[in-house]
Amino acid sequence: MEYKAPVEEYTGVVREITIGKGKKSLKIGGENIPPFHFFDRGSNPNPAKFALEVLDMEPPDWPEHLVEPFRDVVSEPVKWAEKCQSFGVDAVSLFLMSTDPAVKDASADKAAALAKNVAEAIDVPLIVYGSGDEKKDVEVLAKVAEVCDGMNLLIGPVLKENYEAVGKAILDHGHVAIAQSPLDINLLKELNVKLSKFFPPDRIVVDPLSSALGYGMEYSFSLIERVKQIGIMTKDSMTMMPIIANLGGECWKTKQAKENKVQGLLWEGITALSLLLAGANLLVLRHPETLKLVKKTIETR
Amino acid sequence: MVIIGENIHIIAKTISTAIRERNAKVIQDLARAQAEAGADYIDLNVGPMKKDPEQTMEWLVKTVQEVTDLPLSIDTMNYIAMEAGLKACRKRPLLNSASGKTDSKQNMLPLAKKYNCEVVISVMTDRGMPPDVNSKVESIMDTVAYANELGIPNEDIWVDPILLPVSTAGEGQRFAVENLEFIKIIGDVLPGVKSIVGLSNTSNGVPEELRPLINRTYLVMLAKNGLYSAIADPLDKELMKLNRGEMPEIVELIHKVMDGEEIDLSSLSQKEVEYVKTAKVLKGETLYSNAWLES
Repeated sequence: MEYKAPVEEYTGVVREITIGKGKKSLKIGGENIPPFHFFDRGSNPNPAKFALEVLDMEPPDWPEHLVEPFRDVVSEPVKWAEKCQSFGVDAVSLFLMSTDPAVKDASADKAAALAKNVAEAIDVPLIVYGSGDEKKDVEVLAKVAEVCDGMNLLIGPVLKENYEAVGKAILDHGHVAIAQSPLDINLLKELNVKLSKFFPPDRIVVDPLSSALGYGMEYSFSLIERVKQIGIMTKDSMTMMPIIANLGGECWKTKQAKENKVQGLLWEGITALSLLLAGANLLVLRHPETLKLVKKTIETR
Repeated sequence: MVIIGENIHIIAKTISTAIRERNAKVIQDLARAQAEAGADYIDLNVGPMKKDPEQTMEWLVKTVQEVTDLPLSIDTMNYIAMEAGLKACRKRPLLNSASGKTDSKQNMLPLAKKYNCEVVISVMTDRGMPPDVNSKVESIMDTVAYANELGIPNEDIWVDPILLPVSTAGEGQRFAVENLEFIKIIGDVLPGVKSIVGLSNTSNGVPEELRPLINRTYLVMLAKNGLYSAIADPLDKELMKLNRGEMPEIVELIHKVMDGEEIDLSSLSQKEVEYVKTAKVLKGETLYSNAWLES
């Protein structure tokens, strides 16, 4: 008797979201199959995309082998972002680290002006991450949204503590929001429900937090996997959002990645591949060689 | 369904203070209120009782019995306090609770025989909480068989699958679904035994104002599957009305959700919509979040 492999079909579709404008745009999400289930009925029109991370200040604690590819530009974020493009990125992620009150407490105006300069200088869409300080981010991200009006940037993190103010600014100025919640699917859904009361769900990307290999990656994996399953298989409207895995910073914080280069690349690479398998749609990395490694692994699948 | 009033509970600050200071009025008011609200038993949850277990329990039982004739559920892990409580009861009490843990089998379960009372036996074992329905059934069968050997008949045993908070990320809803299943099958597995749950634990971690809705909905769902009794809040009027069958439309709606029937929310009142949404969460059909009513 001939064997026929079972083929599943699902009812949920992850919302397809466009980031950036015109030629500088990219699409993420849109899939109606779990990650890499090419054997099921359905498709993933937008395979995972990759961004490299740029800091708005000279990196204070990066190991030599991470600084190395950007040595000539680490004090000039615009040039740094331009250089990222030569490594074949789909997007650039600007981390406004200096605005953190615990770092330099740099002003919102300065950060917003830089974000605009970077966005204009590059030919790919820009992701902007605030420092994560729930109070300062209200000021900083609102300013970024305003100054970059209409550029359709991907801006976050929008947290349960500040979603009203930050979400409103992102919406008013035509951007996409990153809704971030701390590794908990119920809180993730709750934030989406609350945000969606005034913010269109097809302009939300979720960030469930991405822990590094050996530092809780399993939690991120399970969570991303579950969000995708609930969205695609049970059609829960509040989990059918693309997922951003902002993992570079988490990986390069580890002792193992700092210790030596090969170990660092593998640390970031394995974390990226794992979260990709779990269902991440957009991954933010730090080292261009990791990017190359991950892309090569996917292409030789 | 038999309702065991949960309100005399050591975790409540007023209760722990009242017990420490031997303030009979606070305890008696609460016992009377629960009796008047229609409770069938009064639970006396005194926790581990490190200090004066015998004297304290005896005082508590006597204090409550001065104002109500309802039978009592003596709720402690301390078997010295338990024995003192059982001894002081006028009506046949409920020993709450024993389990499959070795210590409990040796020290707690024999008290049920000695005082000829009814006994709650939970699914816990030395290995902790069984992770799924099958292992819960397995462990309760072992412990019930052990109780039978001690001379305790199935008819005196109330089995407790242990309810856990539905709000626990990832696992909470699975627990809720599995415990519904446990209640559904336990009567066939162990003929004659009764079932009992600590209802309010399901809504632990849920925003305070929404807890009753979870408790009420889950009570109706468990009742459909044959639950015999619940330790619950008899002062929740709506819960008691549901339990007495005075809200048949709501009960019917919840049953429809359980049976997987399509429900047109647009034809329902806000209250009905809330019950439907809650039942879907407890059935594991929609993902729980604190904002489950809003989506």
